[in-house]
Amino acid sequence: MTAAVLFQWMLASLPEIIVITGACILLILGQLVREEQLLFWASVAVVLIAALATLMLAGEVRPAYSGMFVADRFAVFFKFVFYLATVLTFLLSRKYADIEGIGSSEYYVMLLFALSGMMIMASSTDLLSIYVGLELMVLCTYVLTGFLRHERRSNEAALKYVILGAVSTGIFLYGVSLVYGLTGTTQLDAMTAAVSGDPLDPGLLLAVVFIVAGLVFKVGAVPFHMWVPDVYEGAPTTVTAFMSVGPKAAGFAVILRVFLNPLVAASDVWIIVAVIAVVTAALGSFVALVQDNFKRLLAYSSIAHAGFATFGVVAGGADGVASVMLYLLIYAFMNLGIFGAVIMMRSGDFSGEVIEDYAGFAKSHPGLALLMLIYLFSLAGIPPTAGFFAKFYVLTALVERGFVFLAVVAVLLSAVAAYFYIRIVMVIYMREPERAFEPALTPFVRATLACTAAGTIGIGLFPEWFLRLAQQSVFGG
Amino acid sequence: MTFPLLSLIVFLPAAGAAVLLCLRNDDAVRWTALGFTAVDFALAVAMLAAFDTTTHEMQFTERHPWVPAIGITYALGVDGISALFVFLTALLGGICVLASWVAIDRKVKEYMVALLSMQTLMLGVFSALDLFLFYVCWEAMLIPMYLMIGVWGGDGRVYAAFKFFLYTLAGSLLFLIGIIVLYFHGGRTFDILALSAQDLPFDVQSWLFFAFLIAFAVKVPMVPVHTWLPDAHVQAPTAGSIILAGVLLKMGAYGFLRFSLPMLPEASVYYSTLMLALSALAIVYGGLLALAQDDLKKLVAYSSISHMGFVTMGIFALNLRGVEGGILQMFNHGVTTGALFLFVGVIYERTHTRSIAEYGGLMKVAPVYTGFLALFTLSSMALPGTNSFVGELLVLSGGFAANMAVGTAAVLGALLSAAYLLGMYRKVALGPASVGARYQIRDVNVREMAAILPLAVFVLWVGLYPKPFLNVIDASVSHLLTEVHGKESGP
Repeated sequence: MTAAVLFQWMLASLPEIIVITGACILLILGQLVREEQLLFWASVAVVLIAALATLMLAGEVRPAYSGMFVADRFAVFFKFVFYLATVLTFLLSRKYADIEGIGSSEYYVMLLFALSGMMIMASSTDLLSIYVGLELMVLCTYVLTGFLRHERRSNEAALKYVILGAVSTGIFLYGVSLVYGLTGTTQLDAMTAAVSGDPLDPGLLLAVVFIVAGLVFKVGAVPFHMWVPDVYEGAPTTVTAFMSVGPKAAGFAVILRVFLNPLVAASDVWIIVAVIAVVTAALGSFVALVQDNFKRLLAYSSIAHAGFATFGVVAGGADGVASVMLYLLIYAFMNLGIFGAVIMMRSGDFSGEVIEDYAGFAKSHPGLALLMLIYLFSLAGIPPTAGFFAKFYVLTALVERGFVFLAVVAVLLSAVAAYFYIRIVMVIYMREPERAFEPALTPFVRATLACTAAGTIGIGLFPEWFLRLAQQSVFGG
Repeated sequence: MTFPLLSLIVFLPAAGAAVLLCLRNDDAVRWTALGFTAVDFALAVAMLAAFDTTTHEMQFTERHPWVPAIGITYALGVDGISALFVFLTALLGGICVLASWVAIDRKVKEYMVALLSMQTLMLGVFSALDLFLFYVCWEAMLIPMYLMIGVWGGDGRVYAAFKFFLYTLAGSLLFLIGIIVLYFHGGRTFDILALSAQDLPFDVQSWLFFAFLIAFAVKVPMVPVHTWLPDAHVQAPTAGSIILAGVLLKMGAYGFLRFSLPMLPEASVYYSTLMLALSALAIVYGGLLALAQDDLKKLVAYSSISHMGFVTMGIFALNLRGVEGGILQMFNHGVTTGALFLFVGVIYERTHTRSIAEYGGLMKVAPVYTGFLALFTLSSMALPGTNSFVGELLVLSGGFAANMAVGTAAVLGALLSAAYLLGMYRKVALGPASVGARYQIRDVNVREMAAILPLAVFVLWVGLYPKPFLNVIDASVSHLLTEVHGKESGP
């Protein structure tokens, strides 16, 4: 290995290196200066510099580290979703962290490390590098979940998350070891070449099922969804917002890379995935109907959305992959938007976590209520919002592959899901107010809401550019 | 590049809604909303004046790429059929603003914004030439309508709004799948004209026909998926009812005309008997239900179901008289039922009751009101000389030509409509004064007159001289029928 090659490899992973180095520096800096303002801006700067580096390197496909890693357009697309999620989480955290007393430097550092883990996941082309990225990411989210040290449910959520997460990681690793035993490699591309015989070899199928189980846990799909409501409810709301968007997208990035590998695609795994998609969307939608807690409702809603995105995975092909990517991008906007609204409501003894607490919000704050309405209708998939286009494109991909029946199931479930989003709109608009609202509208929260609203409406009205971006980013492109 | 008249008509109300957002004074909001709808109506009149009635081709077409990556275009255009409904929608827009003038006294700005956005979306539905654009407008309409019923409605508004929303959403979703299936069969295009021009295998047509039927039947509404309508109508504010009855219900029937018939001709012919039977059922059942109502608004709502039965019957008679009658009847129903809801709203504002039993002898205290009420009641029961007579006669003659039994049932429905409408009028307007004495009812004022008069003009105009209206739709309907029957008898 020459220095030139090493340099090329490091160049390919420059954004990751920037984020990790930045996080390390901030960790030390955090001990020296107690100026939280500075740490906040430094964290944002790290992400922006990484984004800039990603953009400058986006021109070509750069494989690195002997087939463990690749910086292609697919990874770039996902990395931008991660940057978006992270920066918006920073902005939302500024005031919220003060209220909850979690505004230490570790908070930002953890988010940055989680970001680097997600970035590695998106770029991995080897089951082991996937594992490294995955662990880096989830370890940080375990800690972040338990950040409300004095709150019982936060601790409980973190503990649950750690235990279940460890089990699922173990299952994933077991699958990887089986693959290695059968094919002699863990590289996604080499795996395909190594298998000469029947792709339905039961050993291989078992291995794939284990890997599926491990990955499905991370996106919170049924039957590995149990942790989602508890963790989402217990974690600080900003962390919940982050987890529902970033790590979920990272999980899907890996799923797309693994599942659409010819080896897996040739087997009948898609049937398993289809069943997971249907059951996930159904469970998320139906259970959300009876939730009173806003965060729990959003947890089930995120399960339902994971199910819907999984339909895109089932569809496969260029359009299927692009539809999942577009879905995740749009979901990032609308979900961070609605979480931003919930976070903003946190003030004094008002937690903003009970749906009924929002009764009559539209009366005193018509503008903010309208924003919430837009996010909720977008989550429900009503045009002309972006949420509609995301679902529409997934459905198109399904029908293109001939899965009309699955498409019908998907839309019917989204009609069920529409009910609980509309119910919140009803509470906001059609009830009499019972209290005075004091939303903490800091400039940062304003910026977040403006950005997410622009994304939710803008992509809905003019999806062309984003659609092309997703289509061109499918696998290297 | 030609002048984008249709885009202007469609988006002017939306622009108005944007302007309203900047206003603070309630009166300024009302006048601005009225101004925008009036200008919009003037533009629609200009459009109709420049409309070439000799061709079935789409006119005033505009085409711009919207999402070229998957073949979505922003395409607008009108033929004879849609031109009439663009006109009707623009007409009812101003009337809705007038009808809400004092009835809506809180959150006026938000209300008018919802109303004007509705207006844009409805106009978009009638002028869209791209299926995706059509669906976006069709579905997006649920948002403002949900809010209009749910925020400004009556006591049971929340329930009614939910029911309306979920019913319509669930119905439309299969339509969405149908659209996507059509997209792939038609060579990846959402262009309505291109999709109409192609031949689909019969089994695909059948599936799509039923996918479309659910969506359109909910909107029309046809029995047995009509149950959202009475709730929505009763709870909606007056303008909401006018929009629902005048425009929204027309969209279902318009969907049949624009999609089911030209795109799925063989299935349409094959299932026409079923559709005729459902129409006859709606006519009679709606009429019977109306007969049993004590609530004025419910009565008009059920009569709507019955009258929309005539419309679908005319359409699926699949002959020239039937379809022309059906379309004319759609227009008539928009005018007449819109007016009846307006009348219910006007009297409700004074007495705050809609129970027929509490009324009586209004003739003495409000002669102008009852006079016009008589006109619209008679129009609704299709008295010769009024608009509905022409439409219903055409529908009946088309219906009898298509199916004797269905035609007979429809005549029975027409008799029923005379029974409940005359009964209602007698109890409300004639006899000894009851409510009038208690409430000191004022007769209609200038603002209400301004809303009523245009509708009255159309009642008599279409009733006495329907030719201009039939001229507008004639070429398009003839073309539509040759499409349907030509394809069906073809290879």
